[in-house]
Amino acid sequence: MKSFWPRAYLAFVFLILYAPIFYLMFYSFNSGGTMSSFDGFTLDWYKELFSDTRLLIIVLNTIVIALLSAAISTIIGVIGALAIIYARKRIYQNTLLSLNNVLIVSPDVIIGASFLILFTIVGIKLGFTSVLLAHIAFSVPIVVIMVLPKLQEMSSSLIDAARDLGASRFDVLTKVILPYITPGIFAGFFMALTYSLDDFAVTFFVTGNGFTTLSVEIYSLARRGISLNINALSTLLFLFTIFLVIGYYFIQQRNEKPAAGVRK
Amino acid sequence: MKKLMQALVAVFLISFLLLYVVDRLNASSGQTEGSTLTVYNWGDYIDAELIDRFEKETGVKVIYETFDSNEAMMTKIEQGGTTYDVAVPSEYTIEKMRDQDLLYPINHSKVPNLKYIDDRFMDLSFDRGNKYSIPYFWGTVGILYNTDEVNGEITAWNDLWKPEFRNKILMIDGAREVMGMGLNSLGYSLNDTNEAHLQEAKAKLDELTPNIKAIVGDEIRMLMGNDEASIGLVWSGTASELMGTKDNLEYVVPEEGSNLWFDNMVIPKTAKNIEAAHAFINFMLDPEVAAQNTEYVGYSTPNKKALEFMPKEMVEDKRFYPPAHMTERLEVYENLGPEMLARYNELFLKFKMHRK
Repeated sequence: MKSFWPRAYLAFVFLILYAPIFYLMFYSFNSGGTMSSFDGFTLDWYKELFSDTRLLIIVLNTIVIALLSAAISTIIGVIGALAIIYARKRIYQNTLLSLNNVLIVSPDVIIGASFLILFTIVGIKLGFTSVLLAHIAFSVPIVVIMVLPKLQEMSSSLIDAARDLGASRFDVLTKVILPYITPGIFAGFFMALTYSLDDFAVTFFVTGNGFTTLSVEIYSLARRGISLNINALSTLLFLFTIFLVIGYYFIQQRNEKPAAGVRK
Repeated sequence: MKKLMQALVAVFLISFLLLYVVDRLNASSGQTEGSTLTVYNWGDYIDAELIDRFEKETGVKVIYETFDSNEAMMTKIEQGGTTYDVAVPSEYTIEKMRDQDLLYPINHSKVPNLKYIDDRFMDLSFDRGNKYSIPYFWGTVGILYNTDEVNGEITAWNDLWKPEFRNKILMIDGAREVMGMGLNSLGYSLNDTNEAHLQEAKAKLDELTPNIKAIVGDEIRMLMGNDEASIGLVWSGTASELMGTKDNLEYVVPEEGSNLWFDNMVIPKTAKNIEAAHAFINFMLDPEVAAQNTEYVGYSTPNKKALEFMPKEMVEDKRFYPPAHMTERLEVYENLGPEMLARYNELFLKFKMHRK
């Protein structure tokens, strides 16, 4: 009886979080055509979805942008985090960190508008490149934030020991530091991935010339009402995400078992 | 380190694989060689089959992009960095774009199909002589009501003031639409600038407040669809969509007069392929093409000849194709200038704050 209320509370919270998604998924099988009443089971929306090449291209573009921007911003972000942590002066370090944090908290609309102005002044045509650059830019601070704690908790004696045993600076980086912060790097990568996948505000400003991402496209459907094949698409994306999470979990499990004793 | 490198390589490989797939899909949906045409239109506002057909007939590849509001579209064009060849703004935006020198004039000799457009919809106040714009779709503002809950017919704006409609009316959140309704119900023009008339209209609207359930935006479509209210002030496009799914709804263009709106095709200054833009506009005006497009979109076409290719019940529907004597009473919103517009907005705001 003691554990009933906490569990009930937990179940309630998860219900609230997941109910809208399941509601949306449920109606993707509706033959009625609207979300107001369920008329019967059909897979027509899924068929329609796969015959709509324009929408498929947009989905793939969204995924490509997310993967590339996450990967590139992870590289830049890790280098940035290293630079911050090994900055000589304390005040210098804090300034860099604050500047990084400002970018995270500043509103997307402002970031998006400033990118639009920048790209038009520099003369970059709006499209794939502009979206990719913008996504990399807003993902870098997130990666930095995810990697920094790992660097901070790493004892400096590890580096001293490595240097003592004759490791070059490059060896220290690739054989000591990077392996130690790998979990942070992966966390940063996945955070950047999700930020890029669902970003609307920044993307909205920098898309153009036929290139759009899913969030912008769905938004522009609003005037004429959103068709149920968007529900079907959301269902597939949701299942895809679940699949990714489960996959990541198993990879994590496999890696952790043999390494557990060695690492600690 | 090895694990990181592997992951990085995997991510890049997957990305380039996907890019390749996108490229193949792009290639299969149209010719990659030759010229391209970028069309900027409202979401879901064209039959996609017609784009394929245009590509096959002309060999021009169409890049199709969508927007959700006139303001968003205009900003993108104003800002540059884009190469939209054809855009589809509403009439008041056309005036603004023309004044800011964002439009190329349309060469009528390259658009022979222009002759099929009904004279009623040519040479209107927002673009005299159709120098910059060609009508794409048109519609009205009117009353959508639920026949199960409303006894008898509604035919006029003044019917809404009946006490039996207490708390039953949904209004669209637009100053021109609501003030226009007030002015029309008194028999004035919806472009009226006479201060006394405006005050009179506002006072009349204040009397309507007990009947108003809410003043809403796009959600009016959903609310009416779910029977949340029995009467709504809507655009005809919204009405025809809803009536397609629900039998118990009826749409009426009020007899005192109402607004006539247009979405027109224009060639913005960002255009790179002006030749193909003219070809596309001409293609969309082809009667058969316009008929197919109209059946898909469900709005009213200005193409007179296209009506012959459309199902009879659609063409003879007086609610969406009102006869000439009715369209005479419909007016296009004129650009009243920023000061007058501010006055309209102010009165509308005061009306919204008026206590029941």
